[in-house]
Amino acid sequence: MTYAVLSVPDFALHALRRADPGLCGRAVALVAGDGRKARVAEVSPEAAGVAPGLAAALAMSRCPGIILRQRDPAAEVEAHRLLLAAAFTLAPRVESTCGGCCTVDLQGADPARTGARMRLLAAELAGAGLPARIGTGPTPLLASYAARCAEPVLVVSDKAAFLAPLPLAFADPSPGQDGILRGWGISTLGGLTALPKAEVGRRLGAEGVLLWERAAGETARVLRLVEPARSFAAEWAYEPPVESTEPLLFKLRRFAERVALELRGAGFVAERLSLTLLLEDGADHRREFPLPEPGADVDGWLRILNAHLGTVRTDARVAGVRLVASPARPPEKQDGLFDAGLRDPASFWENIARIAAIVGDDRVGTPAPVDTHRPDAFVLEKPAEAVAPSAESPVHPPCGPTLRRFRPPWPVRVVCDAGAPARLEAGRLEGQVRAALGPRRSAGDWWKPQAWSVETWQVEMAGGGLYQLARTDGGWCVEGMLD
Amino acid sequence: MPPPSQTVSALRSLLAVRFPERTRGPRGGVSAAVRPVDDALGGGLPTGRMTELVSAVPSGGGQTVIAKLLEATQAARQRLALVDGADGFAPEAVPAGMLRHLVWVRCRAPEQAFAAADILVRDGNYAAIVLDLRGCAERVLRRSPASAWYRLQRAAEGGSVAVLVQTTFPLVPAVPWRLVLDTPLSLADVGTPRETMADRLAVRTDRSHAQAIESLAV
Repeated sequence: MTYAVLSVPDFALHALRRADPGLCGRAVALVAGDGRKARVAEVSPEAAGVAPGLAAALAMSRCPGIILRQRDPAAEVEAHRLLLAAAFTLAPRVESTCGGCCTVDLQGADPARTGARMRLLAAELAGAGLPARIGTGPTPLLASYAARCAEPVLVVSDKAAFLAPLPLAFADPSPGQDGILRGWGISTLGGLTALPKAEVGRRLGAEGVLLWERAAGETARVLRLVEPARSFAAEWAYEPPVESTEPLLFKLRRFAERVALELRGAGFVAERLSLTLLLEDGADHRREFPLPEPGADVDGWLRILNAHLGTVRTDARVAGVRLVASPARPPEKQDGLFDAGLRDPASFWENIARIAAIVGDDRVGTPAPVDTHRPDAFVLEKPAEAVAPSAESPVHPPCGPTLRRFRPPWPVRVVCDAGAPARLEAGRLEGQVRAALGPRRSAGDWWKPQAWSVETWQVEMAGGGLYQLARTDGGWCVEGMLD
Repeated sequence: MPPPSQTVSALRSLLAVRFPERTRGPRGGVSAAVRPVDDALGGGLPTGRMTELVSAVPSGGGQTVIAKLLEATQAARQRLALVDGADGFAPEAVPAGMLRHLVWVRCRAPEQAFAAADILVRDGNYAAIVLDLRGCAERVLRRSPASAWYRLQRAAEGGSVAVLVQTTFPLVPAVPWRLVLDTPLSLADVGTPRETMADRLAVRTDRSHAQAIESLAV
């Protein structure tokens, strides 16, 4: 099983910068606390000489012109929704781990395709002002380590080689543990895991064992899954209200990027956009845009919105903006003259591959009969692209209940009376037989080493239930239930 | 304090007013071609919803419902997925021409079945998905978290696929429709044409969305 972690370092700062066009390319620092206690929490690379933990006053003296801001919860929510939407494009099982961090269960995903998609996704997120790092690994913890080291994508294939050089701080030791381990000369995860786990446990106790497991990336946990977005909308309140289109377009682009990703993750496209401008005087200006072709093309949406906003004149300033996309399934592929094709071929084949990775390549497909009367003989074929119309009705319409097989068949001891099964014993199915129908004998491949022959009976048990019994050289078995 | 039933009714009424889309009827249906089942569901398996079919007795006819559903979806040129939790489907029991639209997932454990169903229900290419959990260990199924079912139901609601869950005991929490097959077939049915036999299946409605709506009106 593989997991991916999408993580944005300095998330609060990036969320703030992507929400405010005035902060782009400027030296910015996020401060925590008020007044003289205010300290720098996160800092942009442009702010030379400023580091987290520095007092705000000292930061201003070291970097003249630096902009000091507090965290913006609304901007962080919007940025986290973008990150979640991106995660859902990788796989449907996603955990919202914490602000700026998502964990994705990649079970069944094709590693080669997922790797390529993660690189594209990282570039797309960076373009949307959220430089995410993506790491994958066999456990969520290992994937989170990988995300911390990724630039911007890191796939861990050799766990031991990856973990060995990482600093001990990755495993989050307590100050006491850190002091002891440094005293032992251990400063990397590899150094710690080179020690026997039991010996570490003897010296550092249960906490030491947990630390060792974290250092080995062995800690597994169940993801707390979240649901993908069900409404595709975004809204923002301007403080102070705005009078020109530039801030509107900036925000609408951010909305469009997120909504397009949410639609893509849910397998939808937009067929209609709805734009609402909330005015300062309490009125609103609302306009619907049916899209010429349903899709999730952000630039196309922006062209339409830009063209419209250029013509809008309002009586009051704009205090808020709302964008809603109406979802629709991607346009259906045109069918053949006589067949019904796939709605979304890419999704169909990708999901088949994903399921094959879960159950096995040979256990998913369309069953097809083979030219033999041997019981339970079939092959699984690749599903057809199109559903052809029904063939003519079979010459002999099916009769009676349908067989449901027990794989493998249940061995049973059968007591016969006058040649017919009368009682079943010593198996998963026991009891008196009320009525029996048979035998039906079949055999085949007698000219081959794999020659077979079988005698089949259909029985009704006294306690209810119809079963199919088979008698071969190996004895009796219950092949299945007639249901 | 009012009795609990009144409280629940009041809560349902409130939810119906606040979230009308959650209490709306089904958007069309996929015919199962089994008259008692279609009648009980008001026209077929509801799309965008989950239906549970409980085979309370052995040989209640659950597999025949699958065979007939295969026939109906093939006739309508729709695609069907069968997530076979205990790998019990027998292709030879169905005419070969009725299998070409089927995607059969042969699972080894219920966990695989849940994972596969979770993927398929979001696919958008299927008219119906059958999640057959008969034959899976009851102990394992009872351990499955309710959140897995809610997740599946929410996913189904977002799409246009009908989801049929086959079980041997009531399992799916808060399922809108639960039908029970509680009369076993007999050996005399073996020679009966399947179509005739399917129309005679004894189907009891254990839970129905329509009943819930009626109770809201009351």
